[in-house]
Amino acid sequence: MDKKLRIALAGNPNSGKTTLFNKLTGANQFVGNWPGVTVEKKEGKLLVDKEVTLTDLPGIYSLSPYTLEEVVARNYLVEEKPDAILNIVDGTNLERNLYLTTQLTELGIPTVIAINMMDLVRKKGDSINLKELSKQLGCKIVEISALKGEGVKEAAQAAIEAAKSGKTRPQHNFSGPVDHAIAHIEELALSGIPEEQKRWYAVKLFERDEKATEHLKLSASVKSGVEEAVKACEKELDDDAESIITNERYVYIAQLLKGIYKKKGKGELSTSDKIDKIITNRWLALPIFAVIMWLVYALSMGKSITDGGISIGTWLTDWTNDVLGGAWLTDGSRAILEGWGAAPWLTGLISDGIFAGVGAVLGFVPQMLVLFLMLCILEDCGYMARIAFIMDRIFRRFGLSGKSFIPMLVGTGCGIPGVMASRTIENERDRRMTVMTTTFMPCGAKMPIIGLIAGALFDGSTWVATSAYFIGVAAIVLSGIMLKKTKMFAGDPAPFVMELPAYHVPSIGNVLRGTWERGWSFIKRAGTVIVISSIVIWFLISFGSVNGKFGMVDDLYEDEDLVTDEYIVEVADRMGISEDEVEPMDDSILARVAQPVSVVFKPLGFGDWKPTAATVTGLVAKEEVVANFGIMYNFDARAQQAVDEETGEPLFDEETGEPIMEELDEEGSQIWENVAADFNNISDGHGKLAAYAFMIFNLLCAPCFAAIGAIKREMNSRKWTWFAIGYQCGFAYVVSFIVWQLGRLFVGGASVIGVILALLMLGALCFQLFKPYKEASKLTIQ
Amino acid sequence: MLAWLSANLVNIALILVIALVVVLLIRGMIRDKKAGKSSCGGNCASCGVCGGSCSGCRSKPSP
Repeated sequence: MDKKLRIALAGNPNSGKTTLFNKLTGANQFVGNWPGVTVEKKEGKLLVDKEVTLTDLPGIYSLSPYTLEEVVARNYLVEEKPDAILNIVDGTNLERNLYLTTQLTELGIPTVIAINMMDLVRKKGDSINLKELSKQLGCKIVEISALKGEGVKEAAQAAIEAAKSGKTRPQHNFSGPVDHAIAHIEELALSGIPEEQKRWYAVKLFERDEKATEHLKLSASVKSGVEEAVKACEKELDDDAESIITNERYVYIAQLLKGIYKKKGKGELSTSDKIDKIITNRWLALPIFAVIMWLVYALSMGKSITDGGISIGTWLTDWTNDVLGGAWLTDGSRAILEGWGAAPWLTGLISDGIFAGVGAVLGFVPQMLVLFLMLCILEDCGYMARIAFIMDRIFRRFGLSGKSFIPMLVGTGCGIPGVMASRTIENERDRRMTVMTTTFMPCGAKMPIIGLIAGALFDGSTWVATSAYFIGVAAIVLSGIMLKKTKMFAGDPAPFVMELPAYHVPSIGNVLRGTWERGWSFIKRAGTVIVISSIVIWFLISFGSVNGKFGMVDDLYEDEDLVTDEYIVEVADRMGISEDEVEPMDDSILARVAQPVSVVFKPLGFGDWKPTAATVTGLVAKEEVVANFGIMYNFDARAQQAVDEETGEPLFDEETGEPIMEELDEEGSQIWENVAADFNNISDGHGKLAAYAFMIFNLLCAPCFAAIGAIKREMNSRKWTWFAIGYQCGFAYVVSFIVWQLGRLFVGGASVIGVILALLMLGALCFQLFKPYKEASKLTIQ
Repeated sequence: MLAWLSANLVNIALILVIALVVVLLIRGMIRDKKAGKSSCGGNCASCGVCGGSCSGCRSKPSP
């Protein structure tokens, strides 16, 4: 029986490894147009031969143990010893990519080189003599286009053949003194090591690689012998060992490429370079970014195309929210259940609970899909990678690392992978700070909150969604600056090296896959956690205690012996509303629990039990905020007595004399009108400002439980997790407080104490922002 | 008894369906949690970071 072969896929970050892996294995891994997409290795079976396992290693520039990716890749190559290496090389950056190749070929593993992006090389008018390069390197070279799937089967086949043959290439020589020292080291320290691995270990010992030294468990005398050989070479070449090896590798590559790599227009700018002259321009970069993001949000969440705007997402969401969710799902299911003779409470549970809650969340799916489509296009064409570069320039000025921006980009889909993406940051202080702040980005689950506030109170204004995005970015930047000035996080930012991919037309498959995967995660949550929590919320809203008797509040309110005039006065007092505004829901369990808590949010402008309940249940899942509104205001809409359209008089049933209650209109829009009306009621007519403060608080406060779990895993400390949650909630509270209190200076009704407190908070923030930096050597919570 | 059952047949059937759906959803969520999937959708294969190769994702059977 044939031995099962294992082939490792190795290459520089952003060289197209994951794309090639997907093409070779038929896998569906996410392809990100920035480094760090693959932090750990992934495995799959080759499509051309199911007996062969292909392992996609993280993108690396070298086999030095400086980053997590390098450690993962080299541990696999050295310890697991795959049968062959398929080294993907970016043809447009041959010199730098071959630096890794020179190290891979020292491992004593048969290697095949797949040169990717040759179409771009030819497009630039450059040429590479692959035949000669193959001869010089002693490896088979296959020309591929991972994106188009050209040459990938041939590359796989070549790797299989190399694995079967087991032939390793002849390794290149360093200069005399280095080779001399390496020979000494091999003889002195590596007698027990397999022949094919000796060279690699010897080079690593020469470089004083701690992990390799540790792995070999050398005796003190051997160590001193090795050090002696290295020092002698360093003295002769007047440089440190690591720099000697790096320099020699580049000298070798430069000689190798002489006559093999012909550049047509040396020094001429490529199309990508020309575009970057404008896009990443010092002064234009940020305004261009702002305009692009405005356009993204205008198309996805702005004013509907039917209302004179350009948003396709809102146009579709209007339909799904009002017709599909409001009229069809809720009223349709109600009519069917009533037709079947189902009990009223059961009809309520299904229609007003499950369908109203889930429908409210699902209604925003079109907006999200359009938004994710736009973001995926920006990622795939290479623009988002530029944003990380632009942000690094700004971040660095404030002592932050551009590496922190990658988790932010990932976090726009879901905060959990965003938090996990912080693993690529080596500096522990920066990593913890990034974990704490990444969830400030508006993730997919927060989109419905933005859509709800923009649609219900701001007439679908694009500025609401765009500002929400930039509030998230600003919260991260400002938090970074402030935290960096504390002893806990002080220190130099981690260096951020990133390769900017050439601009290219986005791949339709990649864009659609990315959009669908992010959208599907959202839909799946609506079908699981939101269904269950909608049932719980419905129960908490439907049941309660009226004048000491427990039951369904709607039914209890029909009992005139229970709901006396005195009792209505008591409820109105408790809820802080007028007697006319008292409704059965005010006696529900949820109202009774949320009302006392709502005092906390009074200084933020939304101190009422409904937004309070929505905010707190948002910890289960951020979609729950909107699901909650859907259920509560669905009740609200039904609790209104219908009125005669002409006279405005309340309507009563002619036969029974009972009041006729409002039915949701065909578009179900009064749910969202009621949301707006309620925000106006609780804020003395400043509904827009209160709703905006509500949105800010929900965007910036602690994320959902699942994301908190991810924070706990990444922090690996209960204390740090609580510190992160505390900081997020505190920061959200302060920002919302300032917005609501100072905002009323412009819209009217400002409170003197509120304004003074807001100014004090603003002053404290500014003090922390502008005070000088402190340095610290220890990472501790104060 | 039979009269009560026939009068409430629709309600009983609906309650059973809802209970079944809730039990299945909770069971699925518990399984996902045990498999290391988060409630963000748990689609590890699409995860931009681990791409399905983190310890939690690896513990589930490959498709």
